[in-house]
Amino acid sequence: MKWKKTAAYAITAVLMSGMLAGCMTKGSGSEAAPKATLKDGKYDPVLTITTAKQLDENAGKYLNGESLNDNVMTRWGVEKLGIKIETTLLGGDAGNYNTKLRLALTGSEKLPDLIPVYDTSLASDLIQSGQVRDITEDIKNFMPDRLKEIYKQYPTTFNPVIQDGIVYGMAISPNLTEGEVMLIRQDWLDKLNLKAPTTIDEFEKVIAAFTNNDPDGNGKKDTYGFDFSGKDSYNTGWVSDPVMIFSAYTGKSLPGQWYNDNGKLTYGSVAEGNKEALAKLRDWYSKGYLNKELATQGAWDALADFTEGKAGIIIGRPWLYGSVKDVEKNIPGAKIAAYPTIKGVKEATTYQSGQLNDGVFMFNKDFNNMEAFFLYYDKLYDAAFGTGDFKYGFAKGYDYDIVDGKVVFDSAHFNQPLQNAPSPSKMLFTKNAPTVSEAGKTYYDLANGTKPDTGPLMSAAAADQTTKNGYVISYENRDALLPNAFNGPPTKTMQSSWEQLTTMEKETFTKIIYSKEPLEAYDDFVKQWHEKGGTQITEEVNDWYRQANETDVMSSMGLK
Amino acid sequence: MYYKSRGYKIFSIFNHILLVLAALSCFLPLLHLLAQSFSSKAAVNGNLVSFWPVDFTADAYAKTFRNSNFTGSMLISVVRTVLGTLISMFVITTAGYALSKNFRGRNVLMWIFVFTMLFSGGLIPSYILITSLGMKDTMWALVLPGAFGAYNMILIMNFFKTIPKALEEAAFIDGASFFAIFQKIYLPLSLPGLATVGLFIMVGHWNSWFDGILYMSNTDNYPLASFLQTVVVQGSAQNMALTQSEAEAMSEQSLKAAQIFISTLPIILVYPFLQRYFVKGIVLGAVKE
Repeated sequence: MKWKKTAAYAITAVLMSGMLAGCMTKGSGSEAAPKATLKDGKYDPVLTITTAKQLDENAGKYLNGESLNDNVMTRWGVEKLGIKIETTLLGGDAGNYNTKLRLALTGSEKLPDLIPVYDTSLASDLIQSGQVRDITEDIKNFMPDRLKEIYKQYPTTFNPVIQDGIVYGMAISPNLTEGEVMLIRQDWLDKLNLKAPTTIDEFEKVIAAFTNNDPDGNGKKDTYGFDFSGKDSYNTGWVSDPVMIFSAYTGKSLPGQWYNDNGKLTYGSVAEGNKEALAKLRDWYSKGYLNKELATQGAWDALADFTEGKAGIIIGRPWLYGSVKDVEKNIPGAKIAAYPTIKGVKEATTYQSGQLNDGVFMFNKDFNNMEAFFLYYDKLYDAAFGTGDFKYGFAKGYDYDIVDGKVVFDSAHFNQPLQNAPSPSKMLFTKNAPTVSEAGKTYYDLANGTKPDTGPLMSAAAADQTTKNGYVISYENRDALLPNAFNGPPTKTMQSSWEQLTTMEKETFTKIIYSKEPLEAYDDFVKQWHEKGGTQITEEVNDWYRQANETDVMSSMGLK
Repeated sequence: MYYKSRGYKIFSIFNHILLVLAALSCFLPLLHLLAQSFSSKAAVNGNLVSFWPVDFTADAYAKTFRNSNFTGSMLISVVRTVLGTLISMFVITTAGYALSKNFRGRNVLMWIFVFTMLFSGGLIPSYILITSLGMKDTMWALVLPGAFGAYNMILIMNFFKTIPKALEEAAFIDGASFFAIFQKIYLPLSLPGLATVGLFIMVGHWNSWFDGILYMSNTDNYPLASFLQTVVVQGSAQNMALTQSEAEAMSEQSLKAAQIFISTLPIILVYPFLQRYFVKGIVLGAVKE
């Protein structure tokens, strides 16, 4: 009897799960529909563009009933343009995403129509496979003029997707991203009667005072000056960045990236000046001015000390203020202010890593609706230009709302208040909302009296004052932003020795700062670097650069 | 009496201290997490919370339960755990029962099973296999690939072997079939073993996140563990272009703490219910030899 009962339960469970599985499977073979035609700016019947996505911050935040493939933005596309964007390939993290795309290349599943690629070696593999589309002509024929203007400004972003003069992709919403600023505890500066540092010597004085003169006034020596992370790189490029100290001595050669010295590419970590920078950091570390765990804390983890009120200076993109401002809540009187990074020892400024785009779009060679893609892509730029459907933002009730006739961007004050709301900009195939605010230009315009009447300007106006100041500083110093001059796929020698070389570099730098090796170890590192493949790699990188600039692809795309 | 000796007492004291320390090292992190989940976001980010909530608030829990993504994932995890455990237990006990007997070719079969313990196809072949079987994006991708675990099967098989043969013979004489013996004698007598193995499988299913991320191409289909992995681990992944509000959202530590805590709760609650099966010696006195 009992057995029969159990069996019955088991069978019920199996049947139920069969139904469940049925619910979870979604039809993926919705091709071969009648040819969709464009009528009054809308496709009829609805055209489906499949795409791939790497998980983003929206995961786990969709509103009730919405999901990756059914949300306010996908519905907008179907209703307004007759274009349905469907994600058929989802990767967890970067590695997982790349693996899944590589698997799709082998034919185990269908390669999506639109493929965002965030890895240069994968981009090169896709080109080699012959499964991606040559879009040289498409850009010339279908790209709307306002987008052409944008792509004209950033010709280097095409480098990773050019082979033999043919263009196989395009940057995902290229734009010079905002640069980093120094966030300093203003209340500490005031208390110790100090001014924000502008040179390396002043910087040293300030961090020494922050460490030794008890800026938090609790009678204990529990504070320090400069909080940064050296775990993954000494040039993080976003938050907890120490690159300013290096650049003060090395100028435009930044550790970990390539510098274009009048057509000749050189590697920053072996450039002159690094030794002096390391000597400074080593001295500061031994005096306790720096984050004690800098070599083990990742860039994001290193924020904790600053938020806790233990550290006085941190460097990051202007929005970093949003993540660390809790210190102003926890510690009475605490105040953070944004300042420009310091001057160089020889040059008038310090440089930092600039970012032009995150990834490239590539297209399945069987995808024939480039016109539809460009129509959709162009519409997304409405939010950046403050035109059309997206004058204020992407979706009313999501990233903005109109309360009593006023546009509101803080989701807590919406008609239907939202907490931890999904961001419509992440629902797009561009990963982030396209922007045309070069290095924070919107904020600069705003500070100079432009009336906030479009979405970008209004949402900029709604930010905290410290953040706004940060963006203004970033725009004013936009010349200090240097994108990595090498953005091609790993060269032959890089594939075999680059990892070893970067490991050696990180270890040497960290050991010198931690005083575990003498400063002279740096000279040894430079010698070793060249011997163990560095010289060869530099040659290959320069060859790549010559080839990438051999044919004038910009004209053949009509971007000149 | 040995337990009254001085040496034994000292040993006993140290033993207790050690055990308490070991227990605390398991319990305190959980307590810390609980305290964080009931504290305000600012206090958690400022590292002010240790074992007692600061600025007590249940906000994080309200947010978590209002989030349909979380509750949806939780449901998938529950279904997956129940279904997966049932399927696994069925496969393992029947296989274990058969292999606890002697028959021709048993050793060959045994070696084939043991082989799977030592070698596996690897990640990419498995992925291709599951995809071509059409199990991608279904519950089956989470439940079937791990349904048969050779290690668990061997545990069960050895448990069956300890059951006296005389019981089986007596049942045969009474006219019972192999299946009747399996369900009426072997299964009831192996409850401690079944409970142990069942718990292994259950916990395994509940905690496994990687297969969810691998086989699901829609976050709606993520089990809870995969969901948490994306929220907690990847939430701090490198993203260079954020807006201020996104940067604020990335430091929602108390929310993460609440989600982690809720997700550990069900599996903690299962232990007391299974504990009563961990009783030995049921077969004692059943036979005289």
